[in-house]
Amino acid sequence: MKRIPQALLLPALLILLVGLGYPVGWQLVTSLQEYGLAQQFGRPAPFVGFANYLELASDPTLWAVVIRSIVFCVVTATLTLVVGMALALLMMAVGRIPRLILQIALLLAWAMPVVAAMTVWIWLFDRRRGVINYLLDLIPGVDMNRFNWLEQPSTFFIVASIIVIWMSVPFVAFSAYAGLTQVSEEVLEAAQLDGASGWQRLKNVILPMIRPVIMIVFLLQLIWDLRVFTQITMLQDAGSKSGAFDLLGTYIYKLGTRAQDFGMASAVSILVLAITIALSWFYVRSLMKEEEA
Amino acid sequence: MTRKKTLGLMAVATASALILAGCSTTEPAEAGGTDITLWLMGGDTPDELRDYLATEYADATGGTLTIEEQSWGDAIAKLTTALPDAENTPDVVEIGNTWSPTFTNAGAFSDLSDMYEELGGDKLLDSFVEVGTVDGAHYALPYYFGSRYVFYRKDIWAAAGKEVPETLEEFNATVADLASDTQSGFYIGGEDWRNAISWVFANDGELAVKEGDEWVSTLSDPNTIEGLEQFQALFQNASNAPVTEADSTPWVNINNNESTGAPESATIIAPGWAHWSIGDLAPDPEDDTKTVATWNDDVFGVFPLPGKDGGAAPVFAGGSNIAISAASQNQDAARELLKIIFSEEYQQMLGENGLGPGNTDYVSALGDDQFAQALIDSAVASKLTPAAPGWAAVEGSGLLEEFFGKVAAGGDIEALAAEYDEQITPLLAG
Repeated sequence: MKRIPQALLLPALLILLVGLGYPVGWQLVTSLQEYGLAQQFGRPAPFVGFANYLELASDPTLWAVVIRSIVFCVVTATLTLVVGMALALLMMAVGRIPRLILQIALLLAWAMPVVAAMTVWIWLFDRRRGVINYLLDLIPGVDMNRFNWLEQPSTFFIVASIIVIWMSVPFVAFSAYAGLTQVSEEVLEAAQLDGASGWQRLKNVILPMIRPVIMIVFLLQLIWDLRVFTQITMLQDAGSKSGAFDLLGTYIYKLGTRAQDFGMASAVSILVLAITIALSWFYVRSLMKEEEA
Repeated sequence: MTRKKTLGLMAVATASALILAGCSTTEPAEAGGTDITLWLMGGDTPDELRDYLATEYADATGGTLTIEEQSWGDAIAKLTTALPDAENTPDVVEIGNTWSPTFTNAGAFSDLSDMYEELGGDKLLDSFVEVGTVDGAHYALPYYFGSRYVFYRKDIWAAAGKEVPETLEEFNATVADLASDTQSGFYIGGEDWRNAISWVFANDGELAVKEGDEWVSTLSDPNTIEGLEQFQALFQNASNAPVTEADSTPWVNINNNESTGAPESATIIAPGWAHWSIGDLAPDPEDDTKTVATWNDDVFGVFPLPGKDGGAAPVFAGGSNIAISAASQNQDAARELLKIIFSEEYQQMLGENGLGPGNTDYVSALGDDQFAQALIDSAVASKLTPAAPGWAAVEGSGLLEEFFGKVAAGGDIEALAAEYDEQITPLLAG
C-alpha cells in the first residue's frame, strides 16, 4: 500500500500545476511578446524575443522601483521579526490572563480584513482629522497640524511599513511563541544553574533552539513584503499615484492592467519571480541542510 | 488512515464542491426574456434613472436588467479584462468619453452604424460621437455630458471686495488675493490634471496632436507651457491643497468646516452635479450621523471659468459614452436597452437630473436655473482630451498626475515637459 501516500499527493500537485503553472507559463510566453490592448481583444501577438527584457534592463525607473522594493521588504520584514519576537517573549514572561488578552488582541489584528484595516489606518493618518496628527500636535513644541504623511515618498513608506508590520506581527509572534514553548525547561534550568544571565540564556540557548522557526518565518515575511500590493494601492488612492510611490506590485499593475502593456508587465513579473527565488535560495538551502543534519 | 477519517474527508470535499458549484449557478432566465448586464461608472446615474431602465427593459423584453456600478478609479483595469471575455463581459457598458478611442480602436464594441439614425443621428453630441467612431462606423455613442464650473463663496468674495472676473487673468489674480495661510483662494490639487488642463486649453495649448499618422505629446508646445506656467503660479499662490491631491471631493472644501466654521477655500471648480452637496450644513433628519447641505444663494454662487479673452474657458468636457460589448452574447437584447436609453423620456430624465443628455434636442430639459446656465455655458466651450488610440493607457499610466504634480511643486516646466513628452508619445499609438 505504498502508493496511497503518493496518490494522496496527486490532487495537491495537480492543483499547484493548474493554479500556478498555467499563469506562470502564460506570463513567460507573454513576456516574450508584444501584447497590448489589441491583443487582449483577439489580435495575434507578435513574438519579440527578449526585447521587453532588454528595454527593462535599460530603464532607470524600473531599477529605482526594484531597489525601493527590496529596501522596503528587508526593513519591514526585519522590524516585523523583531517586534514579533519581542511579543512572543512577552507572552512567555507574563501570567495567564495578560497573555490571553495579548493573544486575543493579536488574533483580532490578524483576522481583520485588509481593506477594512486599511480604511481605518488611512483615517488615523488623515491630514486634516487624523488622530495621529492630533496626538503628535499635543506634544509641546511639535507642530504636526495638517502634516501630510502621504505627500513625500519617505513618510509615505514609513506609514506603509508601519501598517504592513502591524498586519504581519501576529503571525510572527504566534509562530515564535509556539517555538518558544518547545524549548525544554530542563535545559534552561541547567543554563541558569551554570550561571547564565537572562540575556545569555536568550542568546545562547533559546534563539539557537528556535532558529529553524525564525528562519522560515523571516523567509515568508521577506516574500510577502516583496509582493505587498493592497496596502500600497490603497495608500496611493488616498495619496498619490505618481511613480515615486510605486513598489514592484503596484508598478506591475500600473504597467499591465492600467496602461495595458501586458508584455512588459509580464517581463517585470518574471523578474520579481527571479528576485524572490534569489532571496529565498540561501534560506531554502540552509533549511534543507538543517533538516539533513 | 482510518475509514472514518477518509469518509470525513470525502464529505468535506463533496461539501466544498457543492458550495463552489452553487457559486457558479446562474438563475434560470424568465420565459421569453434575455437577461443582460449594464455597467455604469460611479454614482453619476441617479437611482431613479436606474429603476426606470430596469422597469422599461423588463416591460419591453420580459428579461431582467442587472445594473452593476464600477468605480471610476478601477474602471480601465476592469474593462480591459472583462470586455474581451464572452462569458463575463457586461452587455452594455458606460465608458468615460476619453477612453472611447482606445477601446473602440481595439475592437471592444459592436458596430451600431445601422441603428445610429434611430438613436438620434445628427442630434447626438458631435464631439462625443467622434471619439466613438472609427473609419466612419459608429461604435460608442454619447450617454451624457457634464462640465466643470466655478463655485465661490459670495460672503468671502464680498468681504474682500471682489467681483466675478471677466477673464482668466483676472480670475487668477483674484483667487491669489483671496488666499491666506489658513484658507485657499482657489482649491486645486497639484496632481489634479483634469482641472489643470483648463489653463492649458485656455491658452490654446494641447496635450497631444496628430502629426501625419502619428500622435505626438505636445507638453513642450509654447502655448501648453504658457498654460502650465499659469497653473504653477495658481497652485503656488492660491491653493493650500497638497501637491499629491488629484480628483477628490471638491465640495468639502467650500462648505463650512465643522470645527472652524469657515471653509477650506473661497473658490473651487467642480462638476455641475456637485451643487447637490454644497450649501449650509445641517444634521440629516433621517440619520443624525450625517449632514445635508442646503444651497444658499446669499452665500454660494457659480460662474463658468472665464476664458483668456472673456467668455467661457475651454474646460475638460466630462461625460460618458455608451456602447455594446462586441463579445456580448446578447446583441439583440443589448440593442433594445440602447433604444430605451436614447428614448425621449430617458433623455429628458437625464437632463432633469443635471446630466447633459447625449441627444442635444433635449438639452432644454436641464432647466434654466443658474446651474443649468453655468453647465450649458461651460459645456459649449468645453474640450475633450486627445482622441489618440492609446489615450486610456496614458491616463492609466499615472504619468499625467506625476507631471502636473511636479509642475505644481515648482519644477522646471520646460525640462519636465520634454521629459514627459518622451514618455507619453510612445503610449499614444496604443
